[in-house]
Amino acid sequence: MHRNDPHKGIRTVLYTAVFLLLLAAGLTGFPGNNILRYGFRILLYITIGEMWNLLSGYAGMTSLGQQAFIGLSGYTLAVVTTRYGLPYPLGILLGLLISLAAAFLLSLFLLRIDGMYFAITTWVVAEALGTLFMSMTYVNRGAGMTVTAEPYPRIGRLFVMALLLCSLSLVLAELLLRSGYGLGIMAMRDDPEAAEAAGVNVKLAKRAVYIFAAGVTALAGSLFFLNKGTIYPESGFDIGWTISMVFIVIIGGSGTIEGPVIGAVLYVLLSEYLARYPGWSNMILGAIAILMILFCPRGIVRFSPRPKDHLTKAR
Amino acid sequence: MRSGEIISFDDIKAGYGRSRILKGLSFSVREGEVFGVIGPNGCGKSTMLNVLTGTLCPSSGRLFYREKEISGLPSYKRCRLGIGRTWQIPRPFTGMTVYDNVLTGAVHGAGESVKQSREKAEKVLKETGLADKSRIPSGELTLLDRKRLELARAMASGPEVLLLDEVAAGLTEAETKEIMALVGGLRERKYTVIWIEHNIETMLKATDRLMCMADGRNVICGDPGEVMGSEIVEELYLGKD
Repeated sequence: MHRNDPHKGIRTVLYTAVFLLLLAAGLTGFPGNNILRYGFRILLYITIGEMWNLLSGYAGMTSLGQQAFIGLSGYTLAVVTTRYGLPYPLGILLGLLISLAAAFLLSLFLLRIDGMYFAITTWVVAEALGTLFMSMTYVNRGAGMTVTAEPYPRIGRLFVMALLLCSLSLVLAELLLRSGYGLGIMAMRDDPEAAEAAGVNVKLAKRAVYIFAAGVTALAGSLFFLNKGTIYPESGFDIGWTISMVFIVIIGGSGTIEGPVIGAVLYVLLSEYLARYPGWSNMILGAIAILMILFCPRGIVRFSPRPKDHLTKAR
Repeated sequence: MRSGEIISFDDIKAGYGRSRILKGLSFSVREGEVFGVIGPNGCGKSTMLNVLTGTLCPSSGRLFYREKEISGLPSYKRCRLGIGRTWQIPRPFTGMTVYDNVLTGAVHGAGESVKQSREKAEKVLKETGLADKSRIPSGELTLLDRKRLELARAMASGPEVLLLDEVAAGLTEAETKEIMALVGGLRERKYTVIWIEHNIETMLKATDRLMCMADGRNVICGDPGEVMGSEIVEELYLGKD
């Protein structure tokens, strides 16, 4: 992370212009519903990709269970709007609160585990939640639930909500990583023991990142199911969510803010295109990810060759 | 703990799993002194540092810092109290630049904001000869520069006590001279230094007192000349006739 960015002013102007342009597109609906739907998906995938990147790329906590928070928030939205007839913003808010509480409780034992065991345990927890929802009469078991809203938000409004969430998550992630906490998070990723000896409260840093990522991922999940209108255990708690996050970060570039943005655009466009080849699409996406790991492990954003003098300094 | 003492080990026992390394270690370090620690391989020198920094919890005994018992304090709190360390095998944060490594020490160790810490980080980088390499990823540094970085990161955390774990290990003769010049300057900065070193000759010139450890215990401690001339040290290093 560059602490003194000479292009900061230009970047800020550029990003603000893009944001205003997209906001205008969402508010007026001029690109048409189809383009806005693509945009909506891209924005949500940027958001969840960025959160996974924050967890794995910056903090070194590779979770395979982020879908737990997507499922929890999606189901909360469905229960609040359909079972109790309450407005959907309340469903989104409650989904966020429940996911934050769940993340805090999970962190009490998950953060005692490291590396591969952490990854596997997060996945098992998400699977267990999926199984639990599959057997709960309260949420119609495997039959799923619908999300109701009166009036149902149009794609333009959903796009604007996704844009606000995505922008907020990018700004917060950038601010976090540029702060002293960001230094601690990256130090913890590289060497937790040495980081702690250098004054970093590793336990607190891990917990904060995990809960923050869970909260933002949950908000993205709520918006996704608000757009979709239905939720099933296998769609809410699908490991496919995390697979897409991993793909986005690998393609774009782990440990960079820009990486998941590029990764999400490519992922949505590729998966839309490959949807016409059912059965092959996942294999092709998997092959692309493997090729990227082999030949471009630092992702598209850092594809440019590095100066030779840096390489010769290692002893 | 006597007045003037900054650190005190009182019958500390510690180890890894079932193997006990420290078997009742007791010693004290006076404020402002350079305290050398020698002893054969496996005698518990690095384990002693791990106990002092909180990386390893002792199974019994008490550890004091400025008359306050710190045996139960987590590692990061000990750093914030004023205990900074270097590692025998350098452990830079390899995904970060040299500057950010040092800034991390300043921000988290000294508990200051990024803004306040920048000046301090730049000053320490200059003092340790790393100023022109501050933008390089730390994983690409040479061994000598990694050792410098270890020292810089510890110094940036604003310590009162600096723990040096074999700073000269693995360096060539010329490099050792360079790092020793740096370590020599620590006394002028009024740090209390606890220094483990295999290269005894190098260390003796700069230490006020010397402790020799064997089998997890303090076997002799005092004036470096007297300790080196003692029978027990001779036996440990040269073996019995």
